[in-house]
Amino acid sequence: MGNDVWLIVTDPADLAVLPRVQNLGPVTALVIGDRELADLASRAVAAVQWIETADAVPAEAYVAAAAQSAAAATPRVIACSGAPASRAVLGAVAARCSAPLLPAVAGVTSDGAGVVVERTAIQGAVIATYRLTSPVCVVLVPDETAAGSVPEPATVVAAPSAAVAAMQVVSRVATAKASGLADAARVVSVGRGVRSRADLGMVEELAGALDAAVACSMPVADDLGWFPKDRYVGRSGQCIAPRLYVAVGISGAPQHLEGIRGAKVVVAINSDPDAAIFRAADCGVVGDLYEVVPALTAALAAAHR
Amino acid sequence: MTTAAAYTWSRDPGSAHVSADGTVTWPAAKLTPGEDDHAALAVAVAIGGSEGVVGVTLGAGDASWALARKATRAIVVSDAPLGDDDAATGAVLAAAARRAGADDVVVVGDSEAHPGVAPAVAGHLGWPIMLGVTSAQRIDGRVHVTRQVAGVEETVAITPPVVLGVTAVSVERSAPGMKEMLAARKRPVEKVTVAELGLEQRAALHPTTTRCPEATRARIFDGDPDRAAADLVAFLRSEGVA
Ligand SMILES: Cc1cc2nc3c(=O)[nH]c(=O)nc-3n(C[C@H](O)[C@H](O)[C@H](O)COP(=O)(O)OP(=O)(O)OC[C@H]3O[C@@H](n4cnc5c(N)ncnc54)[C@H](O)[C@@H]3O)c2cc1C
Ligand SMILES: Nc1ncnc2c1ncn2[C@@H]1O[C@H](COP(=O)(O)O)[C@@H](O)[C@H]1O
Repeated sequence: MGNDVWLIVTDPADLAVLPRVQNLGPVTALVIGDRELADLASRAVAAVQWIETADAVPAEAYVAAAAQSAAAATPRVIACSGAPASRAVLGAVAARCSAPLLPAVAGVTSDGAGVVVERTAIQGAVIATYRLTSPVCVVLVPDETAAGSVPEPATVVAAPSAAVAAMQVVSRVATAKASGLADAARVVSVGRGVRSRADLGMVEELAGALDAAVACSMPVADDLGWFPKDRYVGRSGQCIAPRLYVAVGISGAPQHLEGIRGAKVVVAINSDPDAAIFRAADCGVVGDLYEVVPALTAALAAAHR
Repeated sequence: MTTAAAYTWSRDPGSAHVSADGTVTWPAAKLTPGEDDHAALAVAVAIGGSEGVVGVTLGAGDASWALARKATRAIVVSDAPLGDDDAATGAVLAAAARRAGADDVVVVGDSEAHPGVAPAVAGHLGWPIMLGVTSAQRIDGRVHVTRQVAGVEETVAITPPVVLGVTAVSVERSAPGMKEMLAARKRPVEKVTVAELGLEQRAALHPTTTRCPEATRARIFDGDPDRAAADLVAFLRSEGVA
């Protein structure tokens, strides 16, 4: 078995998890995608193998070839982000190598012949540790620290890419961007803690004071119908990356949090000190939103005076 | 043509009790299907081949759950435990799907908690896979799947066999009624063992230790609402976001 680490790259998100495995040794990126993605990888890792995708053929069509290349190198650790096509490769590598596959991994360290894998479990409430004999396949969680760039861009080597699966993109339609949420620098978001539609005015005033767009959790759009469906945030709705996200009366369900992973500063206002949103937030106020929201609006007005 | 829907049952993380030293206990033993599984089964039924849909599960997975949702038969690998290793789960589900005669589409919930299971099922079957699928239909022998990628709705045409990892967009809107539950009881359930599938018996992978994460990141402003609000605004200004 080799001593190195392979990173499957089908999306820039895969390069963002690199800091979590860089400590282990030289990283080889196996890129499936266009030249731009291969070049991006070459500035971050030691070696790049590249499978170029053809027009209208999804990266998933090259999974078998990619898995064969990665498995043949017998790396110690094979990693990727949650990007769908990358996970597809990882599953195929795990099957070929009879390797375990662990998700939600935050770090991998070397332990003699084996590895120690740490992952978040129980929705982030604990960190679980596993001692495994390598090789091991891991889906890494995003890392905010930027990956160190390499002094010299790595040479991009074409990898064998035979055996393309029979799949073809037949249409691509941009979905509603009308809400403007995707580009908003600041977002104030309404959850079920807000008791009636009439109370939205209070939240809108806060949004006004922050020059923020207004969003919501899924049930507020889906069940209550207070906002159009393109306004809710989460895995089934909008994934946004504002500089400021203020969650008002939102419990912080994992499906909701998936939509704000890219947010810079997350603020939570919730009356329940144990609400999961406080585990994902940078700061917050434990209290009744009916008191805190007007107070915050007033404090912002005072600060601007 | 046999279409399969593979799924697992596990404990609801919301019911876990985490003590101060990071030890996890489970006061309630209740198991539930994955949150994406109902959508996966609905996709399987929508594109189901001439032989109908076979439900495939392991360990404590409840066969009647799939049968009440229009699966025509089910197979359970009763002695395969569900652990944290998604590749091990995928290996067993793939072997069971093969045993059940799946030769067309195998549908698996593409769950946030176990994002490696569907890929491992495909890996062990040696079939291609498409993940993040929200719906599918059959057109001229091919399966057209739809998924959302970065603000784009993409439709991909695939020639089976293929594994589809399906993402639910919400909770199940209409659970089966009494009639479906009764019909489910009449449908066949095959129980198989890991050994009968030709796999070696393995212990489920569990962590050697668990601990609490370093102090919660959130900085809490408290006191009376006006004081807390003023402190929060000062903090946001220092961060340059307000
Ligand atoms: C397959 C699937 C996909 C899903 N996708 C999404 C998604 O994309 N986006 C999404 O948002 N959800 C999604 N959900 C739903 C998700 O699981 C939660 O149910 C939802 O996010 C909860 O919304 P909420 O936080 O507004 O409401 P609740 O969970 O009801 O939380 C309300 C919060 O308000 C607080 N509160 C109450 N009163 C006050 C007060 N006076 N002052 C301050 N705080 C108060 C409470 O303490 C509580 O924490 C999905 C679910 C499934 C199964
Ligand atoms: N009981 C089991 N649980 C999970 N995976 C298994 C089990 N038995 C075998 N496998 C995997 O299934 C594949 C084929 O197994 P084998 O034919 O026994 O080598 C290998 O990737 C094994 O790691």
